Amino acid sequence: MDCPACKGVVVVVEYQRIELDYCTKCYGVWFDAGELSLLAERLDLRGAALDVNQIAALPEKKAAEKARGCPICRKKMKKVTLGSAPEVLVDVCTRGDGLWFDGGEVGQVLGQLKDKGAAADEQGRVIDFLGEVFHVRG
Amino acid sequence: MGIGIIVLIVVLAVLFLVIGFIWMTYNGLVRLRNQVKNAWAQIDVQLKRRHDLIPNLMETVKGYMKHERETLEAVTSARNLAQKAIGTGVGAQAKAEGELSSALSRLLAVVENYPDLKANQNFMALQEELTSTENKISFSRQYYNDSVLTYNNKTQMVPSNIIAGMFGFKTGEFFEVTAAAEREAPKVSFG
Amino acid sequence: MWEQIRSNQTRTLVLVVAMGLLLLLVGYFLGEAIFGSGIGGLVVAILIWVVMNLFAYFQGDSMILAISRARKISPDDHPRLYNVVEEMKIASGLPKIPDIYIIDDPSPNAFAVGRDPSRASVAITSGLLERLNRDELQGVMAHEISHIKNRDVLLMTFCSVLLGTIVILAWFGSRMMLFGGARGGRRSSGGGGGYATLIIVAVAILLMILAPIAAQLIYYAISRKREYLADASGALYTRYPEGLASALEKIAGSTQELKTANQAFAPMYIINPFRSKGRAASDLTSTHPPISERVRILRSMAGGASLAAYEKAYQEVRGSGRGVIPPSALVGETPVAARKAEAVPAEPGKVERARETSDLLWKYSNYGLVNCECGTKLRVPPKLRGSSIRCPHCGRVNPLSSRP
Repeated sequence: MDCPACKGVVVVVEYQRIELDYCTKCYGVWFDAGELSLLAERLDLRGAALDVNQIAALPEKKAAEKARGCPICRKKMKKVTLGSAPEVLVDVCTRGDGLWFDGGEVGQVLGQLKDKGAAADEQGRVIDFLGEVFHVRG
Repeated sequence: MGIGIIVLIVVLAVLFLVIGFIWMTYNGLVRLRNQVKNAWAQIDVQLKRRHDLIPNLMETVKGYMKHERETLEAVTSARNLAQKAIGTGVGAQAKAEGELSSALSRLLAVVENYPDLKANQNFMALQEELTSTENKISFSRQYYNDSVLTYNNKTQMVPSNIIAGMFGFKTGEFFEVTAAAEREAPKVSFG
Repeated sequence: MWEQIRSNQTRTLVLVVAMGLLLLLVGYFLGEAIFGSGIGGLVVAILIWVVMNLFAYFQGDSMILAISRARKISPDDHPRLYNVVEEMKIASGLPKIPDIYIIDDPSPNAFAVGRDPSRASVAITSGLLERLNRDELQGVMAHEISHIKNRDVLLMTFCSVLLGTIVILAWFGSRMMLFGGARGGRRSSGGGGGYATLIIVAVAILLMILAPIAAQLIYYAISRKREYLADASGALYTRYPEGLASALEKIAGSTQELKTANQAFAPMYIINPFRSKGRAASDLTSTHPPISERVRILRSMAGGASLAAYEKAYQEVRGSGRGVIPPSALVGETPVAARKAEAVPAEPGKVERARETSDLLWKYSNYGLVNCECGTKLRVPPKLRGSSIRCPHCGRVNPLSSRP
């Protein structure tokens, strides 16, 4: 798979038995739908807030950021925001293949993580997981 | 020309049909009898595979299970007895294998108390092999019994029973689990 | 017993013959309408059909596997999958263990191909493989091996070739009539037989439109029947209907469509790979019976696992006296009890199964493995340049020497 943002080479990062795809050039992260549900189960989050199809049904967010194609099905992804304080802008595959966090978004997560204690909502906990995995980044 | 020819043709036709029937039924019976034989051979293959797995299992388990000498020895001796029982007749062999099955399931029940062993990659692979071999034994027995049933039906039902009688096709023997131990064995581990 | 399932299938036979007649009709009338010779049309139709059949018979399985981008696996690649297939090979009495293929696709599905029991293959998607526990996997494989054992693969290949030929003829016919100018038209301008020609052209057009649809419906009817049969024999082989029932339920929970599915092979899959939302349950245009109904039948077998138990459950659930198992298969059958559910302690969990499956796929894609000291694993595609990679978790720089 190629990076949907910069076409760079993507490596697979396996952390605590969860796989994430990580672009070595722009540091963006692809969270596959199957892996997301594995993580949700591990964290014992049974809510619908982590289902990729549910996330894809969230209202589209107007953003200046360029539209990206899904690395799996090549269809244009939708921009939505996840979590609350901090809100993170992500691209979600409308077919339900997965989520894309831009390199900048992951950086934003890392920056805000330190200010906050345990994240309140389910989406926040996934964002925390990302922050934990990409502790240092490229 | 005339009646003679017609009678001849009719007689030939009947003869042809009768020979055809005998021929096809005979071949069918032979095919089924071979199927029963092959099914029996398959059980042997699986039993042997289980015997071969046990030394490996013992080797892996030994280091972890310091306090289960008896359970381990029971498996080893049951395996040796089963090894000796090969060729001593269906009943004796089934009994020995039944003892082995129950010794093994006792061992695998004890494994529950050893989390380190359970997480051992080598042991996990062995356990999958053992579970599968156990399944294969019961599936091959199941297939053997199904084959015997089909074969016996054919030898006993009209009209194929006539041919079976003529050529001496005997009914097959079902593989019953005779060993009480196996029937009552707590099937903890074998799915 | 089940040996006889493949023979004495009168209803299936009638449907196949109906499809064959449809093909002949299309060939005849198109020939008559386009080049003024019904016999010529018949010859063309049969010629196309024979060529396609030969191809499907000798190359069909490798073609389907290639289109699905299936990879053949060895016993060491996935011992549990291999074992389960071998168990079902033994239970069904297949002469040889089928080749096992895995398809890199998150959508859960599986299928069987192969023209005869000694030369067959089963394929499963990674999405299904990682979702199923051992009993469920056994149920799915029993269903697929039943398709091989009952010769469904051969039957369905034969039917899809019939269907394909009809579709191709209709397509060619419509193009020829639209652009080539029908021969019949020219002949009628020459005078004589005007009405007869008109009728022939009308019938040809009607057939062109209706025949592919009718053939498709017949095809689906045959396919649905074979699915029930494969479920029934699958339950018999495993002696555990619950395994397949719970696998089907897991599959039904997914809404993903298969990436590489093809309409013509749809009946080979364990569930219809084309699932549109809100499709009616007993829809005529489905290759498979509704999953919920298949699950209900399997769960209504009341502790039995025989074909007769399935037949009874089928009639109960469908609420009709009509059965699905050929009566000849039920003769001489003894009742068999289903196995009780047992706890298997050391079975790998969901995450472990997912890793097992994805590790296999990475291996096949020639990804290199870097084990960072912090416990993070990095899998590196062959196209990554450079001699080292920095772990995004701990920042250590790891050399890329261990790559294949």
